[in-house]
Amino acid sequence: MDLTTFVSQFISGLSVAMLLFLIASGLTLIFGVVNVLNFAHGSFYLLGTYFAYQSMQFFDNFWLGLIVGTVCAGVVGMIVEFFFLKRIYGRAEEGAFQLLMTYAFILILDDMVKFIWGPEYKTIPKPELLAGSFNIGSVVVPLYTLFIIVVGFVVVLLAWYFLMRTDKGKMVRASSLDREMLGLLGTNVPMIMTLVFGVATAMGGLAGVMAAPLRTVTPGAGVEVIIDSLIVVVIGGFGNFWGALLGALIIGEVLSFGILWMPEMATVLTFIVMIVVLVIKPEGLLSPKATGRK
Amino acid sequence: MKRRGLFLIVVVMLFCSFTVAYGAETIKIGALYTMTGRGGQYGKDSEVAIKMAVDEVNAKGLPGGAKLEVIITDDKNPQYAVSVAKRYISDEKVKFLFGIISSAIGLAVTEVSKEQKVIFIGTDHAATDLTANKFQKYYFRSANNTFQSMMAGAMYLKDEVKGWKKIAYIGPDYAYGRDQWMELKWGLDKLGVKYQVVGEYWPKLYEPDYTSYITAIMKAAPDILVSGFWGGDTVSFIKQAKPYKLFEKMKYFHVDAGGNYEALAALGGDMPAGIILSARHHNNWPDTQANKAYVQKFYKAAGRYPSYAAEGAYVGIHMIAEAIRKVGNANDTEALVKAMEGMKVQCPEDPSGFTSYIDPKTHQIVQVQAIGVTVKNAKFPPAKYMLGNLKVYPADKLWPSFEYIDYLTKQKGK
Amino acid sequence: MKSLRQYLPWILYFVFFLGVLAVNPGAHYTHLLARVIIFGLYAVAFNLLFGRTGLVSFGHALFYGIGAYITGMLAKASGPDLFLLYILLGGIGAAIVSVFIGLLSLRLTGMFFTMLTLAFAQLAWGITFKLYNFTGGDDGIQAIPKPAYLTGPVWKYYFFSFVVVTICVFVIWRISRSSFGMVLKGIRQNPGRITFMGLNVYKNQLVAYIISAFFTAIAGGLYAGLDGSIHPDMLHWPTSGNAILMCTIGGMNTFFGPVIGAAILTGLEEIVGKYTEYWSFSIGVVVLVVVLLFPRGLLGIKWPWGRKSTTEEKETEVACNTGD
Repeated sequence: MDLTTFVSQFISGLSVAMLLFLIASGLTLIFGVVNVLNFAHGSFYLLGTYFAYQSMQFFDNFWLGLIVGTVCAGVVGMIVEFFFLKRIYGRAEEGAFQLLMTYAFILILDDMVKFIWGPEYKTIPKPELLAGSFNIGSVVVPLYTLFIIVVGFVVVLLAWYFLMRTDKGKMVRASSLDREMLGLLGTNVPMIMTLVFGVATAMGGLAGVMAAPLRTVTPGAGVEVIIDSLIVVVIGGFGNFWGALLGALIIGEVLSFGILWMPEMATVLTFIVMIVVLVIKPEGLLSPKATGRK
Repeated sequence: MKRRGLFLIVVVMLFCSFTVAYGAETIKIGALYTMTGRGGQYGKDSEVAIKMAVDEVNAKGLPGGAKLEVIITDDKNPQYAVSVAKRYISDEKVKFLFGIISSAIGLAVTEVSKEQKVIFIGTDHAATDLTANKFQKYYFRSANNTFQSMMAGAMYLKDEVKGWKKIAYIGPDYAYGRDQWMELKWGLDKLGVKYQVVGEYWPKLYEPDYTSYITAIMKAAPDILVSGFWGGDTVSFIKQAKPYKLFEKMKYFHVDAGGNYEALAALGGDMPAGIILSARHHNNWPDTQANKAYVQKFYKAAGRYPSYAAEGAYVGIHMIAEAIRKVGNANDTEALVKAMEGMKVQCPEDPSGFTSYIDPKTHQIVQVQAIGVTVKNAKFPPAKYMLGNLKVYPADKLWPSFEYIDYLTKQKGK
Repeated sequence: MKSLRQYLPWILYFVFFLGVLAVNPGAHYTHLLARVIIFGLYAVAFNLLFGRTGLVSFGHALFYGIGAYITGMLAKASGPDLFLLYILLGGIGAAIVSVFIGLLSLRLTGMFFTMLTLAFAQLAWGITFKLYNFTGGDDGIQAIPKPAYLTGPVWKYYFFSFVVVTICVFVIWRISRSSFGMVLKGIRQNPGRITFMGLNVYKNQLVAYIISAFFTAIAGGLYAGLDGSIHPDMLHWPTSGNAILMCTIGGMNTFFGPVIGAAILTGLEEIVGKYTEYWSFSIGVVVLVVVLLFPRGLLGIKWPWGRKSTTEEKETEVACNTGD
């Protein structure tokens, strides 16, 4: 393979990976801290897109839409956590109830989107500023692709700073390790959970808005991203933030180079990667959190 | 007591006579459409078009003053659709099954139609199988199949595109995507066109991110990139490929669903100029009174312009009405089948001087195909580009092709 | 008295599902009931793992699909004469696959196990979708033949399904009341204690997983004959989710709850789909209400009029619980 092909496929893989990471990181954060498998995470991705669309109908500004979509998705997330999910914490068979409840929210939120905004495809144009592309040698890189990659890295850096360098971050990490102890120490754990859920769903919303100019804005788009994000999280290690990054990079790049050699296998490539990882390390590649492995 | 009994009898008799005069002459059509998710827009468009057509038919009148009534249910998945189709027949006493976006569901429901001997009009699903190797005599289709699109496409590639040799394909990895590529290659071979395939790409249906495929295609550098997406996948692919200047480096060719209005609308100004597209109905072609009236009427009813799914549904209802008029009632299924075979149906998409007709052997509607390139045209907002410079391919050159039906039967079995 | 109580749910089961044949509700409703009873078996088989052993599998669509595809493809390829055998082979095929998946995924517990089962089911779905020359891909396989004695009016197939399902449900019932069934219950309540008793949790879970997969596949095989068509949708995650849903709605801690759950879910789909295109919203709301207000399902509801009640739900619950 010549260098040009390598670089262009690598960058493509990176941009695929970053959008995956933005969704998956929220999913894994919720699992790690709140201990909920948020199967409805894709619906917040969808909500982010549609809130941004609505904002752009009023103000015609992508950047404002980006903020509105992110914030509103987070607010809906907090409402869902505070009024609904909280009620089933600590139940016997909590896992099954989490699945059912978040599944119910997929059904409800997707249909609400269709009810409010209609079934037809919507358009969110790229901001003028990022419409073009530039060349590295003979490799074409669209500015928007670069933008996605940069935002992905900014989120990674912010998260690292927050989790590792601030007191609040320490609290979040602590609550993922020993919730009860933290509560005994006088921390408002339920509040942390709601906030983390809000931040994580906001990240889903952010991914939704960022992806919108490149994808089809349609009800049902949320369900289409959830399985891939779950795969990323499973590969990386459930509940591990850095695992989500690693998993996304692996999936993005494997897909990107895989289609050069095995275009026939594209649809099952991600599943194969996942199964291989799981057979070797069933708890995922990185997993500091107790996984319940026997 | 006696009086009350008498009164009751009168009431019952009145009620009966009312049912004779009104109720009994409602001819029910049981429709199934996708109403949620990606395909939902096609279902909603079909719903609007059905209402338009039913109003037209009922206004014009049917033999004996009968009225058409259409029940629509979201079909969800093949299992559920089969169950609903059976309910339609046994409980609602429908005379016709109707609609369906997905070929997988169409294939499941055609079995119900065959088993229960109820006519099934397919209006949007395009798998050639249904009017070829999986043909059964109660099935009719009011929109063209993928073979008709791809055969016209092969002719276009032979006559209109000069100096190409290398060709690549990208399409969703399921029957619809696979069939189109097989059909195009068969058509090119049949026409004696020499070509070299430099790549085949099979992303999953509803793949959100095509970036890696795009860079891989750029590297393969075909002269022509054939695409077999539909709906949102078309939109995503074009949006993502444009900044890579893919459309400047090769000819993009997408003739079954590429020019469908909802994709043109969703892409708006992002649509590149000069790419080769087609669809099963165009809002801006032919420039006949009938087509203009149809498109404007739809716009008035829905507040948006129709995708091609709407035309299939619209034509399907008129096909049923025409058959009932010929037979005189809707009860004699065998006579209705006979009436539809070879029937002429005036469709919005018919250019002046041509009328679509039902091929008596395969029950497939036979229509002209028009392939064009994108040009700036903002008459149908929010689309900013529409098709122009259309080349028209005669209907009888495209279907039936018994040679292809034999080939397909060999490939896929009965 | 006790034995009557114990068998009351069975009596109700027979009266209801056979009574339907006597009443003859018409082709459509017989077809609907055939779906209910097949889904009922699916749910009961799933509940052996879920309600009994406390393992939340989110990948049972895999076994349901294997059953449907083995039965359907064999009948399509070599004629329907040995239909019953093909259903059995479907079950055996699923059991074999479940050994491998069980060995791998039971290494983990809780949500990790759940995710792993989902992963395997989605892989199988992807492969089925992909191998279009073999499985028919997205289009699935249609016109699967049935043996002569099952063709014709739908009540024949309904009765056939009823017999097969009843046998299977009875076997599962016996299993869950055997000492093995008690061990499974112990695993759900306190796996540590089971280990203390010198029993192997992993091995018992694996056996439960295999049994559950086997009967799930029988249900899938039956469905292949009902409509004469199979689709990859049968392997997709909503099918797995439906199993959890049916058990929860009906009552996962009761034996017959899942059958009631299957009836409710099927009926709900039917009614809601008939009147609104917003069926997914409606079903979502129902699920939410069940999860929040009736987490023990219909048969698990503590009726305010208490033990005196003679309603069938109450009796069923009592009967099932006394047997435990």
